[in-house]
Amino acid sequence: MGGKALLFVVLGFSLIFLIMEKNMTSTSTRTVDNMSSYYTNVNAHNIALAGANVGANKIFLDPTWTDGFDDVSFADGEYDVDVDIINNFQNIRRITSVGTFSGVSDTVQITLQPSKFSKFAYYSANEGSNIWWTTGDTVWGPMHTQSLLKIDGSPVFNGKVTSKLGMESSGHWEGWGWNQHWVSDATPEFNGGYQDGVDLPLPDNSITDLKTAAEDGGFLFEGQDTVYMTFAGDSLKYRFSYKDAPTTVLSSAFAPNGVIFANGATVRLQGEVAGRFTIGAASATKTIVVDNGKKKKKKKKKNKQKTVTVTVGGDIYLDNDVVYKSNPNDNPNSTDMLGIVSENNVYITDNKANKNDINIDAAIFAQKGGFGAENYANRPPSGIINLNGGITQNTRLPVGTFTFGGNISSGFSKSYHYDNRFLISSPPSFPNTGSFEIVSWYE
Amino acid sequence: MIQSDFHHYIVIGCSDKMGINTLLDIVGSIIVGGLLLLILFRLNASATSNLYNNNSELIVQQAMVSVVEVLESDFRKIGYCKDWNKIPDPTKSILYADSSKIKYLTDLDNNGVVDTLQYYIGPTSELLNTPNPRDRLLYRVVNSEVPKSSNVGITRFKLTYYTVLGDTIKTLPVANTGQIHTIQIDVETENAESIDSQYVTAFWRQVKLSARNLQNR
Repeated sequence: MGGKALLFVVLGFSLIFLIMEKNMTSTSTRTVDNMSSYYTNVNAHNIALAGANVGANKIFLDPTWTDGFDDVSFADGEYDVDVDIINNFQNIRRITSVGTFSGVSDTVQITLQPSKFSKFAYYSANEGSNIWWTTGDTVWGPMHTQSLLKIDGSPVFNGKVTSKLGMESSGHWEGWGWNQHWVSDATPEFNGGYQDGVDLPLPDNSITDLKTAAEDGGFLFEGQDTVYMTFAGDSLKYRFSYKDAPTTVLSSAFAPNGVIFANGATVRLQGEVAGRFTIGAASATKTIVVDNGKKKKKKKKKNKQKTVTVTVGGDIYLDNDVVYKSNPNDNPNSTDMLGIVSENNVYITDNKANKNDINIDAAIFAQKGGFGAENYANRPPSGIINLNGGITQNTRLPVGTFTFGGNISSGFSKSYHYDNRFLISSPPSFPNTGSFEIVSWYE
Repeated sequence: MIQSDFHHYIVIGCSDKMGINTLLDIVGSIIVGGLLLLILFRLNASATSNLYNNNSELIVQQAMVSVVEVLESDFRKIGYCKDWNKIPDPTKSILYADSSKIKYLTDLDNNGVVDTLQYYIGPTSELLNTPNPRDRLLYRVVNSEVPKSSNVGITRFKLTYYTVLGDTIKTLPVANTGQIHTIQIDVETENAESIDSQYVTAFWRQVKLSARNLQNR
């Protein structure tokens, strides 16, 4: 009898212990499942990210790429990438990357649009050998340089800064012998981020494309040495000689697509702009006959005459203020927008009108040259360049000279402000960078 | 006569020995049974304690994972909007940034309408009804709605901000939120009630969360 009772005790004990052990094991299993589930989700997300980055890189290298990827193995999972053109007119593309890991999928979407140089508050292909950004310099808006970005002190950059060759900052050497190392003294503020290794060259076809746009819906000036343009609100006055009476036209009807181009001519621009326009100037070769020092436009040589081929035009001079009729700083809904695109240089004319400040509302583009002041070293101190827009130039040009201590001795000082509308909009047919930019990232 | 006497003597000897054995059996049973019972009680207490510990750890871990998944999903969308023209300058997406509070622009419904999302942690005095003196409520506020929270045992929610050059932004709240390039998020959870005066803790850190819409343009 005692043996039977003990048997019951043992059986009962075993049953109780089995139930308790099952609960404890179940809890441990759920803990592991929890961790495993989180790990799986994170991995699926990271694989989707990888696919999205690979797809974006393909588009940066080949803007026409739309093939996508199917079932690419990556990190013990796989990703699929699709590219869709969601807006044909604006050529906006969307990359959708789906990453899968252990049966769990996650999606990342990137939206890209063609970027234009007008988005830059400041772009230069060449910064020059000894031009530094220093304390007191402030750039509002995106900035890029194809050369080395030289930093001294504490300049402030309020938009995203990119450079091709990286950053060089002022500093000093510390340590001795093998332990010697460079310590940077510069403390720049990058309030919009910084990225180096970004290659964004000036394309060769910007001016040609603009000329084509002028021929197809705009207006093309040809056969003129100089074109004087004065915007007067809704109308435009133009002439080919300073002494001529201007021809007045309705701007929107004159160039319906907003592009006005002067081929082989110098453009002299001023006025109050109403509407969206891009003014372009390109150089052209011209054959002239030189006869005893006098130029004659003849094709045939006579006696001591000789034929020479010269390149003319391609510069834009700002003879006076060029401003919007509706200032976007006062009216954020203003649709007035101006692009100034030259094959060579954009100069501030050395004349009476520009003796005391100049106001410019425009995105400026100088393909082979830069933006500067005519006769910058010899003209008297002329006040401030109040620019509201952006500058894209091959080479940074001077606008004035300064004494030690920062006093102007000739030309202008600078007050450049960025037109924030250029982040999402641009003047008509303004030069493209030739690549895409990411405008949104969904994950 | 002699056989009868011998038989009588044998019977008397057997009866004495059986009484002592029984007594020994009873004492032995008491000792062994008692030991078994003690083992059983101790095992029960230990199993109960382990079960409670394991359950608490599971609950704390599940709470941590649920919070972290929501945080990661929301923070990755800082500066995002389906209609990106609604946020033309993403560097201005973060409206307020402090060590335990952040407010930013986003598009929660992915419908092209800009929303504001705010995270902040409440004081310990809001949860006096739980034995844990350190637990707080983590609030998630969408636009101007009533702040929503859930008591998942969060005891720590800390944000650290870094510039693009990797420097920590030490002055808080951040004066110029455009400087923020990456964010470090620390979250710690504990169970509401202790076991043997000890609380189960789980800690999670996102070392450098990069909101890709912040500085993409």
